[in-house]
Amino acid sequence: MNNKVLLPLLLFTIISCSESFNIDLSFGDSASDSINPGIDNAFASTYAPMNSEPILFKSANIYDGLGGEFRNYDLLLSEGKILEIGESITAPDVMVIDATDKWITPGIIDIHSHMGVYSAPGVSTSSDGNEATSPVTAEVWAEHSLWTQDPQFALALKGGVTAFHVLPGSANLFGGRGATFKNISQNTIQAMKFPGAPHSLKMACGENPKRVYGNRKRAPSTRMGNMAGYRSAWIDAVEYTDGMDEKNSDRRPTRDLAMDTLMGVLNGEILIQNHCYRAEEMAMMIELSKEFNYKITAFHHAVEAYKIADLLADEGICAALWADWWGFKHEAYDMVQANVAIIDQARNGTGCAIVHSDDAVGIQHLNQEAAKAMAAGNRAGYKISKAHAMRWITSNPAKAAGILDQTGSIEVGKDADLVVWTGNPFSVYSIAEKVLIDGALAFDMNNPKIQPITDFDLGIIKPQDNRVQ
Amino acid sequence: MKRLFTTLALVFFTATTLSGTVLLKGGLVHSGNNGAATVQDILISENIIVGVGNNLIIDGNTRVIEVNGLPVTPGLISPMSNLGIVEINALDVTRDDESDLLSAGFSIFNAFNPHSTGIPWNRSNGITSAISTPSTSSFPIFGLGSHFVLDGSLEIKGSKDIAMFGRLGSSYGSRAETLSLLESLLEIGKLSKSIPVEEILEMTIADKLELQAQDIIALGKVANDDMPFVIETNRAVDILQALAMKKKYGLNLVLASVEEAPMVLTKLQESNTPVIIDPMDNIPNSFDELGSSLDLGRILDQAGIPIMFSTQRSHNYHLMRQGSGNAVAHGMSYETAIKGMTQTVAQTFNLDNRGSIEPGKLADIIVWDGDPLEPASFPKIVMIEGRLQDLSSRSSKLTERYINKEDKPSSYKH
Repeated sequence: MNNKVLLPLLLFTIISCSESFNIDLSFGDSASDSINPGIDNAFASTYAPMNSEPILFKSANIYDGLGGEFRNYDLLLSEGKILEIGESITAPDVMVIDATDKWITPGIIDIHSHMGVYSAPGVSTSSDGNEATSPVTAEVWAEHSLWTQDPQFALALKGGVTAFHVLPGSANLFGGRGATFKNISQNTIQAMKFPGAPHSLKMACGENPKRVYGNRKRAPSTRMGNMAGYRSAWIDAVEYTDGMDEKNSDRRPTRDLAMDTLMGVLNGEILIQNHCYRAEEMAMMIELSKEFNYKITAFHHAVEAYKIADLLADEGICAALWADWWGFKHEAYDMVQANVAIIDQARNGTGCAIVHSDDAVGIQHLNQEAAKAMAAGNRAGYKISKAHAMRWITSNPAKAAGILDQTGSIEVGKDADLVVWTGNPFSVYSIAEKVLIDGALAFDMNNPKIQPITDFDLGIIKPQDNRVQ
Repeated sequence: MKRLFTTLALVFFTATTLSGTVLLKGGLVHSGNNGAATVQDILISENIIVGVGNNLIIDGNTRVIEVNGLPVTPGLISPMSNLGIVEINALDVTRDDESDLLSAGFSIFNAFNPHSTGIPWNRSNGITSAISTPSTSSFPIFGLGSHFVLDGSLEIKGSKDIAMFGRLGSSYGSRAETLSLLESLLEIGKLSKSIPVEEILEMTIADKLELQAQDIIALGKVANDDMPFVIETNRAVDILQALAMKKKYGLNLVLASVEEAPMVLTKLQESNTPVIIDPMDNIPNSFDELGSSLDLGRILDQAGIPIMFSTQRSHNYHLMRQGSGNAVAHGMSYETAIKGMTQTVAQTFNLDNRGSIEPGKLADIIVWDGDPLEPASFPKIVMIEGRLQDLSSRSSKLTERYINKEDKPSSYKH
């Protein structure tokens, strides 16, 4: 059994999460032809992987993040990518790490984070996630709020999180753009941005927008007010988008940041991440997307997603869910712990389920949250394997963030974003021992030199010490 | 010292009580004491555990339930919850945990709703009883918590007003002011031993603080009668201040949260103060808790400090299992974790007849389908005071409805 087994090279056949995105669209055109010179490239990623040397993990147990499980396999990384996966790999001049009895998974990805925009400590001066001054703020970008020294990033890294999507909050109907980041500590936001990742647009249903603005005696104060607010904005966006298609640049509308974002959605470049709890509201949002011809990538929180699991599967919409949060508000009352599993198993297992955190503690334990969701599903009668459930915190969130062609699974050619766990990651006793981002060790529990310490952590309790050892 | 706890008379429902005796046979019993788990049988007569061992004598009328080596623990006791007094946090009309009138003397006991949906949910997840507390307020003392048995009975079983709850830390004013206010309140409590409450109410300070008779009586219980006083605090020096107050007033102090406790470990150790922690909260959420870390549980355990568990997640108090599991992953002993969800709570809050599997205790018992510290595990049997509990909940009913493939509107799937 010494045959090298290469997993199918899926890089070019992966189904894109939605319509193609291309942040660098304008590069193909001459600047004068570009509708929005500058915008397509504004605030682009300057991320550069850390230096890495080739690493060969020997005798690892692997969940590939796509449903595959491999026992006693070797894994070779080179130049930041996954080079080879096989039963017995030999390679000269590489660092060999014995991974016997360890488990290797893709880096964990959180599709719903507010790290950096609601930083720790959670003081008023760091409350930068909700531009709650108007129900439509599609013009704001979460990344413009990000604090690079938020100590929560490093804590999430210790939990195996290699990439995360930062969203604005849910106070507004349109909260603004979200962005995806590599979990690498850097002093500029652009240097953390995941290269090539599309923006998202955060939309929010239900109680939050109507409460925030209703309390101020302005629209929306009802769920029907929410719907009217979305529709009015999309009517403007369609007109703006049509106007921008004008050949004669004099007849194009004046540039508008909010409309740029909505136009990006209509053009399929910006992905909709939609905070929505109740079943009928999600169905309503799907109708809305058809009225204005855009695609919803994922519903977030979606406590009632299980009630419309088939509809979501038919529409190709992911549901990003907690394992068990409930009761904190009325629209979060109908919780079932099998929610994730029901979504996953809809339409013969074609549903797209994601376990998300929305929480700086939860993001550190997404493996445990997936374990709870899997166990609940299996108690409800499904037969979901650990290898399959691993998708919920790796390839499925990668798909919803539009980065599945780069990360989210252990496949030849992908970014070597990986976690080495001390034991099976579905056990509470297993912890992330090593975390690699683009093939470079970003965290090693046994080597204090490879444990990030933010500026915030330095000398803040005792001048001679770091906040966390 | 005499303890002034009102324990309600236990009401027995003969119709639903298992008649005679029950034997839980061959479970891996974690007694809730410090010892390692061993495979044993548990004999229950009516509502009481009457025997634990391997060769228990039973008669032909004993119902035998084979446990087949599954883990068995005492029923879990949440030391700080809002079970039965908050239905939906964001809906004030469903909350009974706040008072405009009372402070230290605010009792939530009579607000308890045994039909609250959180009760069957937490019960089916292994919580058999809980201490529910008033919510935090701007005043440093929130009021009194009560202990409730979560069997859903309208004849509320529990212990009324068993502990006072308060907080010391960052606030809109200065914590120096909070400390001084706490001391004044304790002084008032002490006075109530010798001066009638009516006279204390006439005092300027009582008037200024808008104290009611209930507040003064409650403060007297903490100052004079050894009622546990749970203070949530995090900053290292605040913990020291609380310990100093404990010494000065002879308080039966319990500290909650204590994220910076490792910095004052020796003092905490010397004071014999039990703590309630959330082992998963390693976020420096405020400037009071910069020392927050996943190592807290291990460090406190190694110092021999009695530990209980809270969770930040409302409505899911059973998640203290996940919290304590994480503490074990980071070095806490397994038995400390089990004890922290059972016997330590019973001992700290004087719930004398619960919290461990031993003869004479009330039969609050859980049989688990796997390691109880694994979040994916789930109870197979929940027994409260000798009675087997139905494990259904609103959540399980919804699950059944929506995985039912019958082709008809969901309203007709029941």
